[in-house]
Amino acid sequence: MRKIAAIAGIMWGIGAAMTGAAASEGMPYEKVTDMLYQVMSANREVYTRVVVQRLTVDAKVLTASEHFEDDAALPLPSQMFRFVAEEVLDNTEDFSYSLLSLHPINKKNGPATDLERQGLEHVANAPGENFYGEEELGGERYFSAVYPDYAVVEACVQCHNNHKDSPRKDLSVGEVMGGVVIRIPLD
Amino acid sequence: MVQRLMQAVLVVSLLGAVYMIVTMTVAGDRRLLPGGQTTDAHHQLEMACETCHGKSVFAGAEAAEKALNKNCRQCHEDELKAARDSHSRKRFRNPRMAQYWDLLDARRCTSCHIEHRPEITRAGAVTVAMDFCVACHSEGEQDIRTTRASHAGLDFTTCASAGCHNFHDNQALFEDFLLAHAGRPEPVRPAVHALSARYLARPVSADKALGREDAVAPPHALAEPGALDHWVESGHAPAGINCTDCHVPRPARDAPDTEALTHWIDVPQMGVCMECHKPQARTFVLGRHGMRQHPRIAKPRNTDSESGRAVPAWMVRWLRDPTVPAAMTVGEARLPMHADADPSSSLGCSTCHRAHALDMARAAVNACASCHDDAHTRSYFDSPHHALWLREQAGEAPPGSGVSCASCHMPKLEYRGQVRTNHNQNDNLRPNEKMIRSVCLDCHSLGFSLDALADAALIRQNFAGRPRVHVPSIDWAIARSLSNPEPPEN
Repeated sequence: MRKIAAIAGIMWGIGAAMTGAAASEGMPYEKVTDMLYQVMSANREVYTRVVVQRLTVDAKVLTASEHFEDDAALPLPSQMFRFVAEEVLDNTEDFSYSLLSLHPINKKNGPATDLERQGLEHVANAPGENFYGEEELGGERYFSAVYPDYAVVEACVQCHNNHKDSPRKDLSVGEVMGGVVIRIPLD
Repeated sequence: MVQRLMQAVLVVSLLGAVYMIVTMTVAGDRRLLPGGQTTDAHHQLEMACETCHGKSVFAGAEAAEKALNKNCRQCHEDELKAARDSHSRKRFRNPRMAQYWDLLDARRCTSCHIEHRPEITRAGAVTVAMDFCVACHSEGEQDIRTTRASHAGLDFTTCASAGCHNFHDNQALFEDFLLAHAGRPEPVRPAVHALSARYLARPVSADKALGREDAVAPPHALAEPGALDHWVESGHAPAGINCTDCHVPRPARDAPDTEALTHWIDVPQMGVCMECHKPQARTFVLGRHGMRQHPRIAKPRNTDSESGRAVPAWMVRWLRDPTVPAAMTVGEARLPMHADADPSSSLGCSTCHRAHALDMARAAVNACASCHDDAHTRSYFDSPHHALWLREQAGEAPPGSGVSCASCHMPKLEYRGQVRTNHNQNDNLRPNEKMIRSVCLDCHSLGFSLDALADAALIRQNFAGRPRVHVPSIDWAIARSLSNPEPPEN
């Protein structure tokens, strides 16, 4: 948990600096969310490759598990991503982000707003493109960006295809599995 | 006559208004102000309003509620983290959850827990209707009645009342946990609570052990009947803890014996125990026995009247905030207590543990039963758990096989390889399914545990008998896994 808090702290710092910059220097929101996404994406890739892949597949000294606490295992990369996202929300409302899918294992990770659905459909159907828009939630306006989330390794695909709650069992490596949604309040 | 009566009413009303304004803004006992009774735990600190309400009396409604919720979290957040909170505040702070904020705002504790409302307060200080899950789980993809065939005809009042779900803590109730434990047989008898057995078998180093001749104490203390024998037989003498280590304040302890003894204190305060027993102390102040020593309890407000410069002495007494007593007493308990229990008896380390004797059996059973007088406690002495406890105490059954009050309510916990006793006896009580992982599963199957904990009558009988309630959650989890099996891994 200390590691999660440290990563969350770094991301919060970067986020606060970026959103501050957006307000004072007029940096486009799109540019800010792009930069945030780069940090998130890099963190996730490094955790997947340097921690999970190295210890579970290469060295075979640990396992990664959905129930990592009970199994004394590593959290799955997607869980790690969500833990950090929640940790950020514990510290600031300056921005928020989520890992979502049109066919999630856990229903709460499905689209909850019209823009989320529209954005997830867009990144699934237009490879390599992001989606940007504005929406009103809870009486506040947000700039929302959706980035494609690819199945980068076989483990992602196998886990999703084999899970009893997965609505899709035919995912393949390289395919868009979902998207990262980043929001910044406009006011 | 009527005019005089009206004048009297006016004067009394004005005095009342002045009293309210002064006590709200300056100092004074605010328990006399109108307001409903606090819950069973918070009544211990209700004279320190700032603990929950914050310091600004003039804050607007929104700011006041924010402060209130922040203070809830200050004391309860670690507990929620440990529970892997299913409806955590941070999850619901995400704006994508805005659709739920108007239904049941999980960002605020006060959405479900409103203090001073005894007429609507249920167990766990819950003040929303029993069917609160309906707010979010009855529509769209969250409609559990359409996504789970087993839940199709269920009433929302049963979600959190039938032993299946809790709002915060579902560590022993989630589907994969149910499936992982489904079909496991009851543990072989006599079952042994693994951590208790490890705790009882922990090695004690003899390197620093002290004997009777090593005791450093004044003659009157050495002459106290039994004290020296108890100390030698306790954990203190074998660990090299001399009398002066507890009875002499810290700066003087390292002085030569004759000098140290001039600082001798006959009855050391609880803080002395806490110097060494930090993990026990940390958990003690989290439970109802020790919460009056919780560091987050607000101190009395300062008043200029304390100096006596501006206000007469009689008014100083009237204007002073009541101080939260150092410890909870038997007389203040809202749970049934023995009629012959001393109401002024306060709760500290030596209330359950004797000052010198290492009588863990007393601390684990008799100390509890000397105060608590409810059906569950009384029934314990006729229960199978007590029979096992007697067998262990008699040496007829393995260490860790007996079940005392403390076995369930103050379970052993492992932290970084060390086994310690959780001194927060409320930690696993509400909801009682919190007891399953730390206690029940060592000796019982998950199915039996779920059924037993859902049977209120059986709990009153202290588990003397079989459950007459069946929680179907394991059956339903198995049925769903059979209808939708996971393909084997490639």
